[in-house]
Amino acid sequence: MSKKIFTPTKEFEELLPQDYKDLVNNGPYNAPKTIDDLGSFKEITEPHPHCAGCGVSLGIRLGLASLPSPEDTIIIGTPGCSYFALSQSALNYSCTAFGNQNSVASGLKRMLSIRYPQKNKDVVVMVGDGGVADIGLDYTLHSWFRGEKITTVMLDNEVYGNTGGQESGMSPKGKVLNMAPAGKKFNKIPVFEMAKTAGCRYAVKVTVASPKKLGAAIRRAVLIAREVGPTYVQVYTPCPTNLKFSPNQTIANAKDAEKNFYVYEEYMTEEAGACLSKIGELKEKV
Amino acid sequence: MSNEQKSVGAYNLLFEAERERAFITGSEAVSEAVKRANIDMAIAYPITPQSESMHLVGDLYAQGYLKDYYRAENEFAVMAAIHGAALGGGRVFTATSGPGTLRAMEMFPVWAGSRQPVVCAFMCRGVALPPSIQPENIEMAFLLDTGMLMFHAENAQDYFDMILAAYAITEQPEVHLPVGVFADGFFVTHTREVVMLPPDNLKLDSYNSDYSPVPPFDMENPPARVTRDPLLNKSNFVSYAASASWHQEVLAAAERSRKYIDRFLGGSIEIENGDADILIIASGTAVSQSREAVKAMKLEGIDAGLIKVKSVRPFPEKEIAAATANASIILVPEFNAGGWLCREVKAAIDNNSRVVAGPRVFGGMPMPGEIIVDEVKKALAKSGGAVKR
Amino acid sequence: MSDKNIDIRMAGLGGQGVVTAAHILGTAVVSSGKYAVVNPFFGAEKRLAPTESYVRTSNDPIYDRGEILYPDIIMVFAPEVITLGKSHTMPFYSGLKKGGTVLINSQEAVLSEKDRAGLDQIGANVSYVPASKLAVEFTGTALATNMTMLGALCGAVTDLVSLELVLTAVEERFSGKTKVVASGTSAALDEALKNNFEKNAGLIEKNRTAINKAFEFTKGR
Repeated sequence: MSKKIFTPTKEFEELLPQDYKDLVNNGPYNAPKTIDDLGSFKEITEPHPHCAGCGVSLGIRLGLASLPSPEDTIIIGTPGCSYFALSQSALNYSCTAFGNQNSVASGLKRMLSIRYPQKNKDVVVMVGDGGVADIGLDYTLHSWFRGEKITTVMLDNEVYGNTGGQESGMSPKGKVLNMAPAGKKFNKIPVFEMAKTAGCRYAVKVTVASPKKLGAAIRRAVLIAREVGPTYVQVYTPCPTNLKFSPNQTIANAKDAEKNFYVYEEYMTEEAGACLSKIGELKEKV
Repeated sequence: MSNEQKSVGAYNLLFEAERERAFITGSEAVSEAVKRANIDMAIAYPITPQSESMHLVGDLYAQGYLKDYYRAENEFAVMAAIHGAALGGGRVFTATSGPGTLRAMEMFPVWAGSRQPVVCAFMCRGVALPPSIQPENIEMAFLLDTGMLMFHAENAQDYFDMILAAYAITEQPEVHLPVGVFADGFFVTHTREVVMLPPDNLKLDSYNSDYSPVPPFDMENPPARVTRDPLLNKSNFVSYAASASWHQEVLAAAERSRKYIDRFLGGSIEIENGDADILIIASGTAVSQSREAVKAMKLEGIDAGLIKVKSVRPFPEKEIAAATANASIILVPEFNAGGWLCREVKAAIDNNSRVVAGPRVFGGMPMPGEIIVDEVKKALAKSGGAVKR
Repeated sequence: MSDKNIDIRMAGLGGQGVVTAAHILGTAVVSSGKYAVVNPFFGAEKRLAPTESYVRTSNDPIYDRGEILYPDIIMVFAPEVITLGKSHTMPFYSGLKKGGTVLINSQEAVLSEKDRAGLDQIGANVSYVPASKLAVEFTGTALATNMTMLGALCGAVTDLVSLELVLTAVEERFSGKTKVVASGTSAALDEALKNNFEKNAGLIEKNRTAINKAFEFTKGR
C-alpha cells in the first residue's frame, strides 16, 4: 500500500480518521522510520494496554517500528498477551485459533503472491512462546520445512501470561509456575536451534535490552523472507507479573539474561548473507 | 490450461451451457468442478475417501488450472492455511473426510466468523465409534452450528453441480460464508456413474474481493487499522455487544443465502409425489436408496412420496413444514447412528409424532430399499389402517 | 430392485484387477446406451486380500448404491475366494438370485458338496473358465486374468453387453483415453502398468487375443 493510492479531494481530506492522517503525515507510511526515530513520529501501535513493565509490549513496539514496509505488512498472531498490542496496531492483523499462525501465514503469503506478483507483501507472524513452542510447534516447523517466505517472531516471556502464569515449553527448568507446582521438569525447548535445522535462512536470538540489535534483526528477517525463505527472530520479553519481579526491572532482567542464558546470536545462510549484501543491508555492523 | 478457458457467469455454466455425458466417479466429478471453478489455490491432506479427489486437483494444478497447491501437514493446518489464503482475497478449495473434519474443527467457526467464502468438500465417513473408514455422515451433525452453509449431494452429478453453485452462492456480497459440500464417502466418491458436464473450456468468472463485505488482508484498504477477526479478549460490555451483533450478522447472512440457493441449487428441497400420505425425507445417498424404496412400494401398491433435502444449512424449515402438512407418516432414513436429520425435521414440523426415526445405517452397512420398505410397512401396521396406502 | 436389471458381483484377490474389470465393464455397458453404476468394495485394499467390485446395469436410471446384496451374476476371479473363504460373504454365493450365473476362474472343480447343493437349490448356472491359464498363455502374465474374465463373461451371458464394446473399453483404458482411478494405490500401479503397456504396445493385441479366447471358451456352453 502507499498513501498515493488513496488521495482524497481537499474537501474530504478532513473526513479521514485522525489516526490515518497522522500515520501518513507523520508516521512510517511512505517515510521510512527506525527505532532511532521512536518518540518523534506516529507509531503504528497505540500506547500499550498491558501490565506495567511488560516485556512483550516493548518487544512489539520495537518490532513494529523496525518493519521495512509497514504499509505492506500483515501480521498474523494468536490469542494471548501479544494480541492486546497487535490488535490495535495500524496493520491488518489476524488472530484466529491458537497455534495455527504459521499455517494461516503460509496460505496468506501464497495468495498475496498470486494477487500481487509485482509487490512485496510482507507476512510476519508475531506470537508468544506458547504459540510457537507448544501448541503451534508442528505448524511452525512445517512452514519452515516448506520454505514459506514468512518471518516468525517469538515473543518469549517464558510463560503463558494471558491465561494466568502457566508453565510453557519455554519456561526455564525448575521454575515453579501454575501447572508446574513442583517446578518445570525439562529445559527450554531449543526452538532457535530447531529453526536452523528446519530451514530458516536467517535466525536471531535477542532481548528487549538491545533495541538496535532487535530492530536490525526484524528488518533483516523481513527482507530475507521476501527474497530467500523463512526467517526467525526469538525475542526475550520478560514478564514481571508472572515471573514475579518489579516492573521497573524488565530491562535489567533482560540485560542479565543476555549475559547468561539469552546471549545474542545471529545466524544466516550464505544465500541470506548474499541477499543482504545485494540490497546494501550488511554495510552497517550491529 | 485455465488461460484457454472462457470465463462465464455461474448461471450460464450451471444451467445454460450444453452438457455432455461422462462416465466418472464422484472424486472425478469433484475435480471436473474444480477445473471449471477458476480457483486460485487448493491445499490438500490425505484421508480416505477424500484423497483421490485432491490427487486429481493436484493434477489440475500441474496442468495450470490452479495457481497454487500443496500438501499441508494435517487437516487443522490445511483449514488454517485455507483461512489465510481466503484472507488474502482469492478463491480457494479444499476437501476432507471424517476424522480430518474433526481434527480441523476449530477452523470452521473461524471461517464463518471471518466471513470467508471458502468452499470445502466433505466426503463423509465414520469417525471412531468405533473406528471406521466406511460411508456414514455423522460428521455433519458436528458441523450443524459452525455457521457454514451445508449442502448434501445425492450423487456425483449433485457433487459437481453443488460445488460450482457453492461458489456462486457464497460469493454474493450479502452472503460470504463458508460452504461445506457434503457427499457420503464411497457411495459417491468411489462410484462410477453417468454425469452430465458442461464443456471444460468454460470457467467461472474470477472472484473479486471488492465485493466482499469485509476487506481482504492485503493492506490495500486504508485506513488500515483493521482486525478482521471478531473481537476477542476485550472484557467490556461494548465488545460483548459487538461480538454478539457480529454473530447475528453471520446468522443473517445464512438467511440471506436462501434466495441464491433457490437460484443456483434449484431450491433447498426437491419433492416427488408430494401428495402421498407417506413421505420419506432424506439427504445424500439415503435419497437414492429411498428412490428405490418408493419404486418398490409402488409395485406393491403403496403410495409413498419423497422429499430430498439439498440444503441442510440453512435448513428449509418452512418448506418441509409445508410439504409435510398433510402427511400421516414421515420416514427419515439416515446413514448415521445419531439421527441428526430426523432431529432437524422433528423440530421443523407440527405434530412430530408422525415422524418415524429411521432406518439408520452406519459402519459401512448398505441401506437396501427393502429395509426402508419394511419400516414403512411397520408404521402402516401401527396405524391400524388409518393411513392410506 | 427392478427385474430388468442385471447386477454383477465380482470377487477376487487384491491385485487381480477386480476393480478395474468392473470399471471397464461399466464403461462398455454405458457405451451401449444402457445405464451402469460401478463401485468397488469400500475397504483398504491390499494385495491378496478379499476384494469385490459391483456393476449394476439397467435400461432405466439406477439409484441403488453400495454392495450388491442380490446379484444376478457372480464372477469369482480366484478359486481361493471359495476354497479359503476369501469372500465378503459366506458362502460366496449368498444373495445370488434364483437361476443366477456363477463364473469361476479355475482349471478344476472347486465347489464343496455343500456349496454345490446350495447352488443347485437356487438353480444356479455354474461354469468354470481357466481365466488365469488363458491369460498366461496369451499375454504372458496372470495379471491379465481380469481381461479373460471379462471375455468369459461376454461368452457366458449374451444379454449384457457385446464383446466388441468390451474390447473397445479395454483399448480406451490402456491407451490412456480414460483414466480409471480405482484407488490411491492402484492408481499408482495403473500408471506403472500403463507405462508398461506403452512400452509394449503389442500387449494390447495380446489382451484382445486372450479376451477372445476366453469368450470362445464360454460361448455356447
